[in-house]
Amino acid sequence: MAIWLVADSAAAEIAIVLNSGEGTVSVVDMGARKERSRIPIGKEPHHLMATPDDKHLIVANAVSNNLVFLDPATGQVVKRIEKISDPYQIGYSPDRKYFVSASLRLNQTDIYEAETFNLLKRIPTPKAPSHIAFNAASSLTFITLQHTDQVAAIDLATQQIRWTIKVGPVPAGIWMTPDDRHLLVGLTGADGVEVIDWRKPAVVARIITGKGAHNFLAMGDKRHVLVTNRVENSVAIVDQQSLKVVEKFPVPGGPDCMELTRDGRELWVTSRWKRQLTVVDMASKKIVAQIPVGRSPHGVYFRGHAPRQ
Amino acid sequence: MNDIVAAFAALHGALFENAVLPALFALGLMDFSEPAFDATEFVLIGLIQIGAVYVLLRPLEAWFPAEPWADRKAVRVDVLYTFLHRIGLVPIAVYALLRPLVDGTDEMLRALGYIPPGVEDAIPALHDSPFLTFVVYLLVLDFADYWRHRLQHRWGLWWALHSLHHSQRQLSFWADDRNHLLDDVIEGLWFSAIAFMIGVGPEQFVAAVMLIRFVESLSHGNVRFGFGRWGERLLVSPRFHRTHHAIGVGHEGRRYGCNFATLLPLWDIVFGSANFSYRGMATGITDQLGGRDYGESFLAQQWLGLKRLAGRA
Ligand SMILES: [Zn+2]
Ligand SMILES: [Zn+2]
Repeated sequence: MAIWLVADSAAAEIAIVLNSGEGTVSVVDMGARKERSRIPIGKEPHHLMATPDDKHLIVANAVSNNLVFLDPATGQVVKRIEKISDPYQIGYSPDRKYFVSASLRLNQTDIYEAETFNLLKRIPTPKAPSHIAFNAASSLTFITLQHTDQVAAIDLATQQIRWTIKVGPVPAGIWMTPDDRHLLVGLTGADGVEVIDWRKPAVVARIITGKGAHNFLAMGDKRHVLVTNRVENSVAIVDQQSLKVVEKFPVPGGPDCMELTRDGRELWVTSRWKRQLTVVDMASKKIVAQIPVGRSPHGVYFRGHAPRQ
Repeated sequence: MNDIVAAFAALHGALFENAVLPALFALGLMDFSEPAFDATEFVLIGLIQIGAVYVLLRPLEAWFPAEPWADRKAVRVDVLYTFLHRIGLVPIAVYALLRPLVDGTDEMLRALGYIPPGVEDAIPALHDSPFLTFVVYLLVLDFADYWRHRLQHRWGLWWALHSLHHSQRQLSFWADDRNHLLDDVIEGLWFSAIAFMIGVGPEQFVAAVMLIRFVESLSHGNVRFGFGRWGERLLVSPRFHRTHHAIGVGHEGRRYGCNFATLLPLWDIVFGSANFSYRGMATGITDQLGGRDYGESFLAQQWLGLKRLAGRA
């Protein structure tokens, strides 16, 4: 029995969850749907992403001013890169040349050379730069400015702000549609998503998704994207061609970041206010598990995720 | 223990989700949803703490009083101070006032290419042990508080404010938050600066504040006991702090007093200000015996504090 358990847990796929309010990472056994361990990681880890080669998982510790690289299979710490200023949200440009870090608390956006993590430029971007997107050509990065209700576009080669435009209240998540035409912006202070034609640039539409629209996740079919509505406690599925909501289902506790299994069958969502991961069966849209994790769980990742578009 | 944490988390989450968050949304204040989540927790912990301290200390004050009182009227104003603090009004106002200052300074330094270090830079092993890190923070914060308190007694202008805390002659577990509001702002500045310099994370800061408050409530209690010969030297006890409040002892001799520590008497021992010879003295300020008025109501106390500061009371 014991041997069987050990063998099983060694092979089990894990989900990694950042407990932003207690400085730990929860390692969750996906099969058993249980937290297996909780590892100290640093102060205020909010977002995480895989390196472009998928070998490591990067956790951005905003208050510790560092990036921690994890082994995505085990959750073990591999290395730390220090002196990364207040990394709240992070992102690689599609061509992998640039690494961008948004410093929400300090109104700055930092552009690094991705290979070396050498800081190219620290750009004042008031106020509260929060989420990051790129165009397909990797010439621009787009940042939502949460406290001034704007989106800024920064030229990556020159590291100059190209333009800023006004959007609705409290823009958070920002997402480039797979056809490289539109930016979707989650308005946490309103009830939906704004659509920006970034070449103009102008807001061209608003999609009503639910109160407190916040963050995005692609469903892997290059057509649909999921949106969390943090105040309404729901997740909406948006068709990126028709720019319409095709379905919506409840997810409790202030749903924030999401991860979808490769087969599209299960959606794992961090429920910020409830200290739990909520697992939704995507066929029935029913909640099949609520897994207790740490305080204020934010980013979530697992290896067997759906394609990122 | 896990059940208690889970029950508390459920209460915190439900309160935030059903009351605070919809209100923020309706008022167009969603920018502040995350600080508000923390503030909701801060307020809840504060309330639970008031309840716990009351249940623990009120019977002890009745059964083993350091000094017997005919009534507890003078204590009432301290109850108000406690609620103003522990349900978060004062700390949240101070936080809102100081946060832009701290973040603005931080932003400026980083624009110049300087990232303030944390204790982990000096002791890398702390990366893997939040508990040890917390202990280090607690030591640093307590050390800083010793010196803050010592200066409150040493500098006349600061004493003009801090004397309000000492003017309570019925010293009870409610007395610890009895402070001038301006002094609260100075305290906020002091701790923000320290926390900034050593890189304390917000949740550890809250945990430290909660622990310190608990010990402070206890050490102000009108109770007769100490912690024994060695215990007295490890943790600030009611006897130890009562000596600090004693008329003619706590804030006069040896260049303005003794027993300034909040958590660890160690600092008083090391810096030569410890006094373990409690003799059941009365608490208050010497000039109160000569009729000096420090006010009875909250407003009078605050106003007189400002007047003392201006040299007019
Ligand atoms: Zn004092
Ligand atoms: Zn005192």
